[in-house]
Amino acid sequence: MANLFTLFISAVLINNVILSQFLGVCPFLGVSKNKSSAIGMGAAVTFVIFGASILTYGLYKLVLEPNSLEYMDLLSFILIIASFVQFVEMFIKKFSPALYKSLGIYLPLITTNCAVLGVALDNIKQGFTFPEMLVYSLGIPIGFTLVLYIFSTIRERLDAADTPVSFKGNPIALIVAALMALAFSGFAGLV
Amino acid sequence: MVIAILVLLGLGALFGLFYYLNSKTPVPEGCEDLTAECEGCKITSCAHNPVLKQSKGENKE
Repeated sequence: MANLFTLFISAVLINNVILSQFLGVCPFLGVSKNKSSAIGMGAAVTFVIFGASILTYGLYKLVLEPNSLEYMDLLSFILIIASFVQFVEMFIKKFSPALYKSLGIYLPLITTNCAVLGVALDNIKQGFTFPEMLVYSLGIPIGFTLVLYIFSTIRERLDAADTPVSFKGNPIALIVAALMALAFSGFAGLV
Repeated sequence: MVIAILVLLGLGALFGLFYYLNSKTPVPEGCEDLTAECEGCKITSCAHNPVLKQSKGENKE
Protein backbone atom coordinates (compact mmCIF):
# COMPACT_ATOMS: atom_id res chain seq x y z
CA MET A 1 0.00 0.00 0.00
CA ALA A 2 2.85 2.37 0.90
CA ASN A 3 4.49 1.51 -2.41
CA LEU A 4 1.33 2.45 -4.30
CA PHE A 5 1.11 5.77 -2.44
CA THR A 6 4.77 6.51 -3.23
CA LEU A 7 4.14 5.62 -6.88
CA PHE A 8 1.14 7.96 -6.98
CA ILE A 9 3.03 10.91 -5.47
CA SER A 10 5.94 10.21 -7.77
CA ALA A 11 3.65 10.13 -10.84
CA VAL A 12 1.89 13.38 -9.91
CA LEU A 13 4.79 15.54 -8.76
CA ILE A 14 8.24 14.04 -9.31
CA ASN A 15 7.91 12.33 -12.69
CA ASN A 16 5.40 14.88 -13.89
CA VAL A 17 4.45 14.08 -17.45
CA ILE A 18 4.85 17.66 -18.71
CA LEU A 19 7.57 19.20 -16.60
CA SER A 20 9.79 16.16 -16.12
CA GLN A 21 9.10 13.87 -19.08
CA PHE A 22 8.22 16.69 -21.53
CA LEU A 23 5.25 14.81 -23.00
CA GLY A 24 1.96 16.51 -23.91
CA VAL A 25 3.54 19.93 -24.34
CA CYS A 26 1.26 20.81 -27.31
CA PRO A 27 -2.01 20.84 -25.28
CA PHE A 28 -0.04 22.33 -22.38
CA LEU A 29 0.63 25.44 -24.47
CA GLY A 30 -2.48 25.30 -26.68
CA VAL A 31 -5.23 24.76 -24.09
CA SER A 32 -3.93 26.78 -21.17
CA LYS A 33 -5.34 30.19 -22.08
CA ASN A 34 -8.07 29.99 -19.43
CA LYS A 35 -8.96 27.89 -16.40
CA SER A 36 -12.16 26.31 -17.73
CA SER A 37 -10.43 25.00 -20.88
CA ALA A 38 -7.58 23.64 -18.75
CA ILE A 39 -9.95 21.74 -16.47
CA GLY A 40 -11.95 20.40 -19.46
CA MET A 41 -8.80 19.18 -21.19
CA GLY A 42 -7.47 17.72 -17.92
CA ALA A 43 -10.69 15.77 -17.31
CA ALA A 44 -10.71 14.41 -20.88
CA VAL A 45 -7.03 13.41 -20.69
CA THR A 46 -7.53 11.73 -17.30
CA PHE A 47 -10.40 9.65 -18.62
CA VAL A 48 -8.64 8.66 -21.85
CA ILE A 49 -5.25 7.85 -20.25
CA PHE A 50 -6.88 5.72 -17.56
CA GLY A 51 -9.10 3.83 -20.02
CA ALA A 52 -6.43 3.45 -22.71
CA SER A 53 -3.88 2.19 -20.15
CA ILE A 54 -6.20 -0.59 -18.98
CA LEU A 55 -6.89 -1.63 -22.59
CA THR A 56 -3.26 -1.53 -23.72
CA TYR A 57 -2.03 -3.34 -20.58
CA GLY A 58 -4.67 -6.03 -21.11
CA LEU A 59 -3.77 -6.41 -24.79
CA TYR A 60 -0.06 -6.69 -23.96
CA LYS A 61 -0.43 -9.20 -21.13
CA LEU A 62 -3.16 -11.34 -22.71
CA VAL A 63 -2.33 -11.26 -26.42
CA LEU A 64 1.11 -9.86 -27.26
CA GLU A 65 3.21 -11.40 -24.48
CA PRO A 66 1.86 -14.98 -24.68
CA ASN A 67 2.41 -14.96 -28.47
CA SER A 68 5.91 -13.40 -28.28
CA LEU A 69 4.71 -10.32 -30.14
CA GLU A 70 6.19 -7.76 -27.73
CA TYR A 71 7.79 -5.88 -30.65
CA MET A 72 4.29 -4.89 -31.84
CA ASP A 73 3.49 -2.87 -28.72
CA LEU A 74 3.93 0.59 -30.28
CA LEU A 75 1.86 -0.13 -33.38
CA SER A 76 -0.95 -1.91 -31.56
CA PHE A 77 -1.11 0.71 -28.77
CA ILE A 78 -1.53 3.51 -31.33
CA LEU A 79 -4.47 1.67 -32.89
CA ILE A 80 -6.01 0.90 -29.49
CA ILE A 81 -5.76 4.56 -28.35
CA ALA A 82 -7.16 5.91 -31.63
CA SER A 83 -10.05 3.39 -31.50
CA PHE A 84 -10.76 4.21 -27.85
CA VAL A 85 -10.91 7.95 -28.54
CA GLN A 86 -13.32 7.35 -31.43
CA PHE A 87 -15.48 5.15 -29.23
CA VAL A 88 -15.52 7.65 -26.34
CA GLU A 89 -16.42 10.50 -28.71
CA MET A 90 -19.25 8.47 -30.24
CA PHE A 91 -20.51 7.38 -26.82
CA ILE A 92 -20.70 10.87 -25.30
CA LYS A 93 -22.17 12.31 -28.53
CA LYS A 94 -24.99 9.80 -28.23
CA PHE A 95 -25.63 9.67 -24.48
CA SER A 96 -24.39 12.92 -22.95
CA PRO A 97 -24.67 16.03 -25.16
CA ALA A 98 -23.82 18.27 -22.18
CA LEU A 99 -20.56 16.40 -21.61
CA TYR A 100 -19.86 16.50 -25.34
CA LYS A 101 -20.30 20.26 -25.31
CA SER A 102 -17.66 20.65 -22.60
CA LEU A 103 -15.21 17.88 -23.57
CA GLY A 104 -15.96 17.08 -27.22
CA ILE A 105 -13.63 19.68 -28.61
CA TYR A 106 -10.65 18.24 -26.72
CA LEU A 107 -11.14 14.61 -27.72
CA PRO A 108 -9.56 14.89 -31.21
CA LEU A 109 -6.62 16.72 -29.59
CA ILE A 110 -6.05 13.77 -27.25
CA THR A 111 -5.41 11.39 -30.16
CA THR A 112 -2.30 13.42 -30.92
CA ASN A 113 -1.33 13.73 -27.24
CA CYS A 114 1.84 11.70 -26.86
CA ALA A 115 1.32 11.50 -23.07
CA VAL A 116 -1.37 8.85 -23.64
CA LEU A 117 0.99 6.64 -25.62
CA GLY A 118 3.85 7.46 -23.27
CA VAL A 119 1.95 6.20 -20.22
CA ALA A 120 0.83 3.04 -22.05
CA LEU A 121 4.42 2.23 -23.02
CA ASP A 122 5.75 3.19 -19.57
CA ASN A 123 3.38 0.71 -17.89
CA ILE A 124 5.01 -2.08 -19.88
CA LYS A 125 8.60 -0.83 -19.77
CA GLN A 126 8.59 -0.46 -15.98
CA GLY A 127 7.07 -3.91 -15.47
CA PHE A 128 4.13 -2.72 -13.36
CA THR A 129 1.66 -5.13 -11.82
CA PHE A 130 -2.04 -4.45 -12.47
CA PRO A 131 -2.64 -2.36 -9.27
CA GLU A 132 0.57 -0.40 -9.89
CA MET A 133 -0.52 0.25 -13.47
CA LEU A 134 -3.89 1.57 -12.25
CA VAL A 135 -2.26 3.94 -9.74
CA TYR A 136 0.35 5.17 -12.24
CA SER A 137 -2.27 5.67 -14.97
CA LEU A 138 -4.33 7.78 -12.58
CA GLY A 139 -1.39 9.73 -11.09
CA ILE A 140 0.11 10.83 -14.41
CA PRO A 141 -3.04 12.54 -15.79
CA ILE A 142 -3.76 14.08 -12.38
CA GLY A 143 -0.25 15.58 -12.52
CA PHE A 144 -0.99 16.74 -16.08
CA THR A 145 -4.24 18.41 -14.97
CA LEU A 146 -2.57 20.01 -11.95
CA VAL A 147 0.22 21.56 -14.00
CA LEU A 148 -2.18 22.61 -16.78
CA TYR A 149 -4.44 24.33 -14.23
CA ILE A 150 -1.57 26.13 -12.46
CA PHE A 151 -0.17 27.21 -15.83
CA SER A 152 -3.57 28.52 -16.99
CA THR A 153 -3.97 30.65 -13.85
CA ILE A 154 -0.51 32.13 -14.43
CA ARG A 155 -1.29 32.80 -18.10
CA GLU A 156 -4.55 34.56 -17.22
CA ARG A 157 -2.54 36.93 -15.03
CA LEU A 158 0.15 37.29 -17.70
CA ASP A 159 -2.46 38.56 -20.16
CA ALA A 160 -3.09 41.50 -17.87
CA ALA A 161 0.60 42.03 -17.07
CA ASP A 162 2.78 44.60 -18.78
CA THR A 163 5.20 42.24 -20.52
CA PRO A 164 7.62 43.53 -23.19
CA VAL A 165 6.21 43.21 -26.72
CA SER A 166 8.77 40.62 -27.83
CA PHE A 167 7.89 38.40 -24.85
CA LYS A 168 4.11 38.51 -25.27
CA GLY A 169 2.32 35.21 -25.95
CA ASN A 170 4.29 32.00 -26.29
CA PRO A 171 7.80 33.33 -25.39
CA ILE A 172 6.77 34.38 -21.86
CA ALA A 173 4.66 31.21 -21.56
CA LEU A 174 7.72 29.08 -22.32
CA ILE A 175 9.79 31.00 -19.76
CA VAL A 176 7.05 30.39 -17.17
CA ALA A 177 7.01 26.69 -18.11
CA ALA A 178 10.78 26.52 -17.62
CA LEU A 179 10.49 28.15 -14.18
CA MET A 180 7.71 25.71 -13.26
CA ALA A 181 9.90 22.79 -14.34
CA LEU A 182 12.67 24.12 -12.08
CA ALA A 183 10.22 24.44 -9.18
CA PHE A 184 8.89 20.92 -9.71
CA SER A 185 12.42 19.50 -9.79
CA GLY A 186 12.51 20.42 -6.10
CA PHE A 187 10.05 17.61 -5.43
CA ALA A 188 12.72 15.07 -6.45
CA GLY A 189 13.90 14.65 -2.86
CA LEU A 190 10.38 14.15 -1.52
CA VAL A 191 10.21 10.36 -1.97
CA MET B 1 3.96 -13.95 -38.10
CA VAL B 2 0.40 -14.97 -38.98
CA ILE B 3 -0.79 -14.01 -35.48
CA ALA B 4 0.95 -10.63 -35.79
CA ILE B 5 -0.85 -9.91 -39.05
CA LEU B 6 -4.16 -11.06 -37.59
CA VAL B 7 -3.72 -8.84 -34.52
CA LEU B 8 -2.90 -5.85 -36.74
CA LEU B 9 -5.83 -6.51 -39.05
CA GLY B 10 -8.16 -6.92 -36.08
CA LEU B 11 -7.05 -3.66 -34.46
CA GLY B 12 -7.19 -1.86 -37.82
CA ALA B 13 -10.71 -3.15 -38.40
CA LEU B 14 -11.71 -2.12 -34.89
CA PHE B 15 -10.45 1.42 -35.53
CA GLY B 16 -12.22 1.52 -38.91
CA LEU B 17 -15.47 0.37 -37.33
CA PHE B 18 -15.37 2.96 -34.53
CA TYR B 19 -14.35 5.70 -36.96
CA TYR B 20 -17.29 4.84 -39.22
CA LEU B 21 -19.77 4.64 -36.33
CA ASN B 22 -18.47 7.90 -34.88
CA SER B 23 -18.78 9.73 -38.18
CA LYS B 24 -22.35 8.40 -38.58
CA THR B 25 -23.40 9.52 -35.08
CA PRO B 26 -25.17 12.89 -35.32
CA VAL B 27 -23.63 15.81 -33.43
CA PRO B 28 -25.89 16.96 -30.55
CA GLU B 29 -27.90 20.16 -30.98
CA GLY B 30 -25.94 23.29 -30.10
CA CYS B 31 -22.58 21.58 -30.63
CA GLU B 32 -22.40 22.01 -34.42
CA ASP B 33 -19.74 24.72 -34.41
CA LEU B 34 -17.53 23.99 -31.41
CA THR B 35 -14.10 25.51 -31.91
CA ALA B 36 -10.99 25.11 -29.80
CA GLU B 37 -9.42 28.25 -28.40
CA CYS B 38 -6.19 27.54 -30.20
CA GLU B 39 -3.94 29.91 -32.07
CA GLY B 40 -2.01 27.04 -33.58
CA CYS B 41 1.25 25.28 -32.90
CA LYS B 42 3.73 23.51 -35.19
CA ILE B 43 1.41 20.49 -35.59
CA THR B 44 -0.38 21.63 -38.73
CA SER B 45 -2.05 18.23 -39.24
CA CYS B 46 -4.20 18.82 -36.13
CA ALA B 47 -7.85 19.47 -37.08
CA HIS B 48 -7.98 22.54 -34.80
CA ASN B 49 -4.96 24.33 -36.25
CA PRO B 50 -6.07 27.66 -37.78
CA VAL B 51 -3.75 27.01 -40.74
CA LEU B 52 -6.28 24.48 -42.07
CA LYS B 53 -9.16 26.98 -41.86
CA GLN B 54 -7.09 29.61 -43.68
CA SER B 55 -6.13 27.20 -46.46
CA LYS B 56 -9.81 26.10 -46.85
CA GLY B 57 -10.85 29.74 -47.13
CA GLU B 58 -8.20 30.39 -49.78
CA ASN B 59 -9.35 27.34 -51.75
CA LYS B 60 -12.96 28.63 -51.76
CA GLU B 61 -11.85 32.01 -53.06
